[in-house]
Amino acid sequence: MNNGRTLWDSLKLPRPRRSGSRPHMVYLAIGFPPAAKSCAYRMRETANQFAAAGWDVTAVTIADEAWEREYGLDHTLSQGVDPSVRVVKLPLFRDDLETDIRTFTEQRALAHKDYLADLRKQNLKVFPEPVFGGWRPALEKALLRIHRERPVDLLVTTCAPYVNLSATWKLWETHRVPYVVDFRDGWSVDVINNGEAFTRESVSGQWEIKLLTNAVAIWNVNEPISRWYRERYPELAHKMRIVRNGYDAASIPAQVRPAPPDRPLTFGYLGALNLPVPLLSAVLEGWRTARAQDPALADARFEVRGHIGAAWARGDNAHAELLKAAAVDGVLVGGSVPKAEVVDLYSRWDAVVLMVTGGRYMTSGKVYEYMATGLPVVSAHEADHDASTVLSTYPLWTGAVGLDPAELTGAFRRAAAMARTADAAEREKARAEARQYAREGQLIPAVREVTELVLGAGGPAGAPQPSPAGARVLAREGRS
Amino acid sequence: MVMGTVPGRVAVLTDALQQFRDRGVTVRVATTFDPVEKIPAATELAEVHLLPTATELGPRFGRAVKRAAPARRPWLRAQRDPWVRRHAKRADVLVALDAQALHTVWQLAQRYRRADAVYGIAPALRAVEKRSADPARYRRPRLNTVGPAPTVLASATRNQTVDLAKRVFEMSTGKRAMKLGPVRWFWQGAVTAPGLPERHRGKIARRVTGNMLKTGHGASAKRLALAAQGRLKSPATKGQLLGPIVDAELGQGKVPEHLMTVVRGQLKLADGFLKKRNPGKAAPHVLRAFNLMFHRIVQFDGTTSPLAEDPEKFLAPLHNSEAGRAMATPRGRQSPAAFPPAGRPHRMLFFTGLNDNFLGPILERYEAMPGVEVRRLNLMEESILPVLSNGRTNVALHMLAGASKRAGEVQEAWGPHLEWADTVFVDWCNLGAAMLTMIDPGTTRVIVRLHSFEAFSWWPHLTDWSRVDDVVFVSEHLRDLALAAVPRLRAPQGPRTHMISNAMDLHRYVAPKVSADSRFTLGLVGLSSLAKDPRWALAVLRELRRHDERYRLKLVGDDLNPELSPAVAAYVRELDAELAELEPSGAVVRTGRTDDVPGALTDVGVILSTSLRESFHCALVEGAASGAVPVVRDWPFFAGRPHSARSLFPSDWVVGTPQEAAERILALTAAEEVWREAGRAAASHVLSTWDWSVTQKDFDRLLLEPPATSA
Repeated sequence: MNNGRTLWDSLKLPRPRRSGSRPHMVYLAIGFPPAAKSCAYRMRETANQFAAAGWDVTAVTIADEAWEREYGLDHTLSQGVDPSVRVVKLPLFRDDLETDIRTFTEQRALAHKDYLADLRKQNLKVFPEPVFGGWRPALEKALLRIHRERPVDLLVTTCAPYVNLSATWKLWETHRVPYVVDFRDGWSVDVINNGEAFTRESVSGQWEIKLLTNAVAIWNVNEPISRWYRERYPELAHKMRIVRNGYDAASIPAQVRPAPPDRPLTFGYLGALNLPVPLLSAVLEGWRTARAQDPALADARFEVRGHIGAAWARGDNAHAELLKAAAVDGVLVGGSVPKAEVVDLYSRWDAVVLMVTGGRYMTSGKVYEYMATGLPVVSAHEADHDASTVLSTYPLWTGAVGLDPAELTGAFRRAAAMARTADAAEREKARAEARQYAREGQLIPAVREVTELVLGAGGPAGAPQPSPAGARVLAREGRS
Repeated sequence: MVMGTVPGRVAVLTDALQQFRDRGVTVRVATTFDPVEKIPAATELAEVHLLPTATELGPRFGRAVKRAAPARRPWLRAQRDPWVRRHAKRADVLVALDAQALHTVWQLAQRYRRADAVYGIAPALRAVEKRSADPARYRRPRLNTVGPAPTVLASATRNQTVDLAKRVFEMSTGKRAMKLGPVRWFWQGAVTAPGLPERHRGKIARRVTGNMLKTGHGASAKRLALAAQGRLKSPATKGQLLGPIVDAELGQGKVPEHLMTVVRGQLKLADGFLKKRNPGKAAPHVLRAFNLMFHRIVQFDGTTSPLAEDPEKFLAPLHNSEAGRAMATPRGRQSPAAFPPAGRPHRMLFFTGLNDNFLGPILERYEAMPGVEVRRLNLMEESILPVLSNGRTNVALHMLAGASKRAGEVQEAWGPHLEWADTVFVDWCNLGAAMLTMIDPGTTRVIVRLHSFEAFSWWPHLTDWSRVDDVVFVSEHLRDLALAAVPRLRAPQGPRTHMISNAMDLHRYVAPKVSADSRFTLGLVGLSSLAKDPRWALAVLRELRRHDERYRLKLVGDDLNPELSPAVAAYVRELDAELAELEPSGAVVRTGRTDDVPGALTDVGVILSTSLRESFHCALVEGAASGAVPVVRDWPFFAGRPHSARSLFPSDWVVGTPQEAAERILALTAAEEVWREAGRAAASHVLSTWDWSVTQKDFDRLLLEPPATSA
């Protein structure tokens, strides 16, 4: 496991920005641009909003080379980052995704699976997270060093990975730096299987309660997850905030018109293909049948864009095989799309297919973007899913039909009809419905609240506070 | 590229090969399987080559492959292949397409250091792109890319040394070597040598004992295993070492002295896997422990059984193990059993099909009863059989893991029946009962009847008693034994227990005896298991015939099958020898199996129960109903306990020895009137105590009245 110890001494941090009285916020965001990951959009906006609120933001992520092993890089994402945001890239790599055999030991080459199992076991000894647990010492060290160079007034930690919590705790424990946990999809809630991921008594449970108890605020991406936490920790309910993922206006075409009758329809899916294989299989079966049954879909295409697999399995997994086999049914696989080009993609699509795993605790980020396009949306997820709640008022939605291929066939056919017939007024109504979910609209109030909580009602523009920010939070909590 | 396994995703592979071709890349693929047969599409896009097979490489290679770990085998083939050497030397990128190919590519990468060595298609494409972008950089020779890596030489020397050591070990511990006395003597000393690490001692001793047993030196094997196990600490290693010795002894019909050492070892191994949260690997060890503990030689084919002698002590290793505790975890039920509402028939579901011998009168009664609706769930139906397939393994796995896919299948198959029923009655505590308790029965009341053999089997330990409401035993001594053997039956969440005799229509056996001389005919009905111990009846007969030659013995039923086990075969040999002596004179008559048992009893004046163990012994009671004088051996499995044959039957019926039996028979058959009076009294007792007309009331109370606690 490369936990950064060997490379640590050679790490040169970018020079800290000195901006007079601007307070210093560290944003621990592994997945920050240019990582080609969907979480990077939320991270970018969070950093930008804190910068706009008067903070000097230091975003902490991992080295670009590390993302090459996973889903790669999207440098167009970095273009949208506020230039004042300082980005620190730690030399941390996922050893489990290494594909250069020359770096392997003979034992790893002989028993790769055992090696990975052992790696996970070792990581779990450091922090209760099998893949990232081993990063704990390096992350703790990095945050302490950043704090030494320029004292931190606020730490915002976004998970996953949850090992970030260990470094957050370290900074709180040693320097009482107030922190916000942007829990996104939560930890103790299993959003895929709709239940508890671990008990309160487990090691993870102990970490979670410890971290949340002392947090300034706890953010989640939707109401079901927030409710889960409010019910699990009623004494902390006043700190819980829903900060939805929302959509980026720059990715949405200015307008969408009905598909011309002389052009074949194009359905699209954009997102990482980390879905359960049966879900993808059901969608493709539904698509095949719809195409065979409905003349309106006879020559239609279904364009699937996004990452398929990581490391050695990139483009070489069961999803890829299913999609390639579906080429005869007009299914096109086009790989990932740089964020800056997403707008073009939506411009040429006539309908979108929302394939999402999980159930009532899962919303996904793409549902908001799909709604904002004003395109008909085919839902391919469990009927009892939070995306259904979000889409329930969207006029161009085919409904939550579950994952039965026969029902999905009907959904594709309904979407095809909508794509041809929905007029500009209907589309505008649909887009208006989505506007409440613009990303900055989600983040601005949350950032403002945290700023006021940590710096007082005057915010960064007010007079510099004499006491450390952590003391103010303690005072608010009545625990000074 | 190297492929160690047949790819599951051929479309992805061919698409990738096409991409390489489009980029002007020459691709050569070495496979461990026949590519023409398995990936024909790939053969058109790349030069595909099958690595030399064991047949082509000769017997020496075959032996080397056998010695090597499976993960090393593809490289052993590739190493000897000039095609691989030639192309790997010139390759720019070496690619492992699956995990089984990693080691081969790693080895090639150590030898040909100029090439990139990567795992997976996408990394290979990236490496090609990188090289294409800056070809000059890769053309320049560098010191660290010339010739093989120094580690290769060290690794090869180490591997050769290890290989040689393995060969020497294999030869000196092989079957051929074990034929030589001095070699056996040598290993006897070597495995007990002080300072030998435990894992080596265990491994060597296992191999040597195994080969000694295979070459017919069982005594040497046992001696060595016992000597080595004295120096071993790990119960698991001890168990693995003694396992073959114990198996061999069971095969000879002997109860092994070290049976429980092996059982403890197996349970320890199972506990180890459970600790690693791997119930799938724990289950086979638990089942092996069950097979040994409840082996018929141990429990059924002897004059007593360790389980009957001291159930708590015998089963302590199971109950104290993690595996035992996991299986004993009560999963309970979400809702308590509900008594059927008034105003509709009581719905009863009976599990049938596996053994319905004792169910007939019960089914007939409730099927004919107004206000009761009966359904049968025939477990032998084709639609049900898949659920039962490999049942014991699946139940054990479920109990260890706490959940299983099979439970879902049981729910799907049996759930609707349970939902319909108010009460489910499962006769025999075996597979049906165990599988039923894999699922929550809802509000249905579950009743299980445990006869006798099940108490000596693993089934009560694979049944979740927190999902059973009532257990019916057919006698008190079986209840005592079962409660001692299965602590969960006594737990607060455990079921209510009842003692209700078997349902028997005894009136059909009442018939006049053919003559006064019938009193000299002893009858023994049912011989098909060793537990019936007919030789004890022969001992009684010999005693009687010393006084009066008119006494004879009538044996009714199938003969014992000697193929059941070596112990049964030995018993049959001795029985046959005795019969050969007694049969020619007419002292013993074997009638074989008959469907007319009442008819066969009309000339029987004394009915015997000579069994080692019984739960109730219906045949004896049927004989008593016919007017024959009952003589019951104090069944040794239960003799001296609070409940036994003596507490089940009137005390004067029960005797301890053949001599006592002969005395009772002589006393009661000396005069015709005494014999007839004793027979009448016995018949009257059994008819008024155990006839179905009497015992059906107990069943009515159990099935039709609300249980005391569910009011």
